[in-house]
Amino acid sequence: MMSRALNGLILLALTLLVALPLLFIVLQALFSQPGEGNWSGAFSALPALFEDPQLVPMWLGTLKIGGGVALCSLLLGLPLGALRGLFRLPGAAMWDLLFLIPFLTPPYIVALSWTLALQRNGYFEQLIGINFDSLLFSSTGMTLVMTLNIFPVVYFAVSRSLMASGQRLAWVARVHGASAWRAFAQITLPLTLPALAGGVLLAFTLAIEEYGVPAALGTQAHLTLMTVGIEIKLADWPIDLPGAASLSLMLSLVALTAWFLQRKLTGSSDVTAVNGKPVVQELAEGGRWLPLMLLPFILTVLLAVVLPLGAMTLSGLLNTLSGGLHVNNLTLRHFGALFSQQGDALAAFSTSIGLALGAALLTGLLGFLIAWRVSEGKTRLLAMMDGLALLPAAMPGVVVGVGLILLWNRGFWPVSPYNTMFILLLSYSCLLLPWPVRYVSSALRQLAPTLEPAARVHGASRLQALRLIVLPLVAPSLLAAMMMVFAVASRELVTSLLLAPAGTQTVAIFIWRQFEQGSVGQGMAMATVTLLASLTLMLGATMLMQRQGNK
Amino acid sequence: MPSLKSVKTGAISAMILTSAMMINDAQALTVYTAGPGSLSKSLATGFEKQTGIKVNIFQATTGKVMARLEAEQANPQADVLISASWDTAEDLQHRGWLLPYESANAAKVPEQFKTANYVAQGISALGIVWNTKSGTPEPKTWQDLTAPAFKDKVTTPDPALSGASLDLLIGLQNSEGEKAWQLFDQLKANGMVMSGPNAQAVTPVLQGAKAAVFGAVDYVTYNNIAQGESVKVIFPENGTVVAPRPMMILKSSQHADDAKKFVDYVLSDEGQEQVAKAWLMPARTDIKAQRPLFTEIKLLPANSDGSSERSAVLKRFGALFGQ
Repeated sequence: MMSRALNGLILLALTLLVALPLLFIVLQALFSQPGEGNWSGAFSALPALFEDPQLVPMWLGTLKIGGGVALCSLLLGLPLGALRGLFRLPGAAMWDLLFLIPFLTPPYIVALSWTLALQRNGYFEQLIGINFDSLLFSSTGMTLVMTLNIFPVVYFAVSRSLMASGQRLAWVARVHGASAWRAFAQITLPLTLPALAGGVLLAFTLAIEEYGVPAALGTQAHLTLMTVGIEIKLADWPIDLPGAASLSLMLSLVALTAWFLQRKLTGSSDVTAVNGKPVVQELAEGGRWLPLMLLPFILTVLLAVVLPLGAMTLSGLLNTLSGGLHVNNLTLRHFGALFSQQGDALAAFSTSIGLALGAALLTGLLGFLIAWRVSEGKTRLLAMMDGLALLPAAMPGVVVGVGLILLWNRGFWPVSPYNTMFILLLSYSCLLLPWPVRYVSSALRQLAPTLEPAARVHGASRLQALRLIVLPLVAPSLLAAMMMVFAVASRELVTSLLLAPAGTQTVAIFIWRQFEQGSVGQGMAMATVTLLASLTLMLGATMLMQRQGNK
Repeated sequence: MPSLKSVKTGAISAMILTSAMMINDAQALTVYTAGPGSLSKSLATGFEKQTGIKVNIFQATTGKVMARLEAEQANPQADVLISASWDTAEDLQHRGWLLPYESANAAKVPEQFKTANYVAQGISALGIVWNTKSGTPEPKTWQDLTAPAFKDKVTTPDPALSGASLDLLIGLQNSEGEKAWQLFDQLKANGMVMSGPNAQAVTPVLQGAKAAVFGAVDYVTYNNIAQGESVKVIFPENGTVVAPRPMMILKSSQHADDAKKFVDYVLSDEGQEQVAKAWLMPARTDIKAQRPLFTEIKLLPANSDGSSERSAVLKRFGALFGQ
């Protein structure tokens, strides 16, 4: 009885968050004017779309960048992940944390920071006399900048999978006379392949969904990618709703294909590698090779974290850009201005934090319930629930934004969240729901199936068992996922740009508008403050959780 | 369990925070505006102080503001619209979306900057923005940017994203015909690149990645100069165009009376002084500006009105400088 009510509630939430926006995109793409109840002219928008001379270059560009980012992430993430997963490295937790930072930094800020550092007469040329102008403003430059933001997914996939599967089998091979290299190539690597493939495909999906870097570097690289194309169709006058919807649909299909491939490949990895028994982490000693092993870590952190974030902070500290790098051109006035700007910056900050907190709580609750219900059975309804909850992982932000506008910006709704904060909460929750569902599901799979029945036998109600047994056991995973949601939601750009009601700004919008008006210093100061604040919040939460765990 | 307690407190405060933000004052006036965010903010604050009416602002580029207006056609939200391109007002006028209103405060606005339906809030002009430290000779005419000294050092805003930039192209074509296109060809041959909207073209010039912008909106740069940047706005000797910023009330407004009060306020002494402070030319001739006025700038002939011509110019320019 209770579970049926719960199922209904979950399905209602999923319908509102995921299914309806997607349905409206499909309707808009097929019929040009579904808003007016006009069902004629199916597919009438398609010829115009295919005649667009931009379409083919846009597609090829997107696939090329996506493929390039996937490949480069593999080249960077695999060796680093392998070293981390196989050897006892000093400061292992610190490297993990450092590699998390590029993932948490707004990509368009990173792209702009690179621009200010690398372009002609940029910081590099002022310091060491060379510029990378032609490299940066090309598809190669775009690929590299995106790789430095995205490669951590491959790194984490590889290192975690190696740590989980352990080295026992490889040691067996060594005992039987295989060389270290042979044991790695024939035992360890094949075991990691599913996770590796999953990570690479995820990198591809993230790259084709990315909006910030293409928007910041695209015009000068003469490359318009799909996400930017959709945003222009939708947010520049004259708007083209059917065109935006059809492009959205196409982009989602590519992402969905990649995502299905990834699920097929990673689905089997759980079976072979993790058997539920506690695995002793047998990390090898690096010995005299250790300094050589640490070198790629140091270089990567320098490239992916120190340089872009350094350029970002520096831009916020420079009094004028034309003044260049001089001690007497340093000032705190951009930071100071954030607090005096008629309260705009602070309001944007509290709006973003509030929304990110709301999204974390909403997706945390919903994600937990979905994962728990899905773990209990294999009915068609539950499978559908699972699919719907994970679907947004394959929906680019710009597509979710389009869907929510098409759905809610209609005259026929008696009440609509459009033009209120709720629409932003909805969009963040839709986009980020897959994180808690994924994290909690994998945590639940590791629980012994007898725990809950044992509690029920001892007289606990279903709810009590859930609250006192299941929830505490999956809480670390759930909290980790919610922190991820919080971090991403607090900097989300593209749906915020599309959906924010008049009179409100989020952090990302505030920064974007500062750039639009030529106040680079102010935008960068805001970006720096926000990054510091979210990092502090996340570190604080991690430390709090660890202290709780030690008691 | 202190952690659970803190989670609960967090949840409750989050809910209070979000619900406080949800309360969207139905009585508030909604203003969609392109251009300086600090100006729209100070106009809203001044207006609220004077009348007690709250103002919600949506501020973005002209293209984004118009797109939002169009997207909300089924359920209009905006009461007042301030765009950066005169052309958009003409377009909305043709569609019949505007509420006629002539403010008493518009008496001192020159005839060419007002109609029965819309009136200029302020006026900007287009010029060359030049980095004084770039080591290039100071350009005096548009043609100077085709000199070898400016090889690969010129950028221009995308006219598809910057309405004012398109006005300049049309102004040049109207006064010089095919000679204007020869100029664009030469600029292209000299390595001029097209960037995003106005600021995206100006920022590389601030850092010195480029030496000059061909056709930038002037007020943004005047503001940069006031902040200490070493750049200069140059109005070429052979003439440029001004971009009046039309302000209009939408017919769909539920708050027409308040909207009229807002227009009155923007055109009042106080409102126009705010406009001047944002480095624009005030629409009223009797308010002091801190920058050259359109009477002091050599102007190209005003653009004609056919919209097909606009899209033709845009298409031709896009083909020349696009991918």
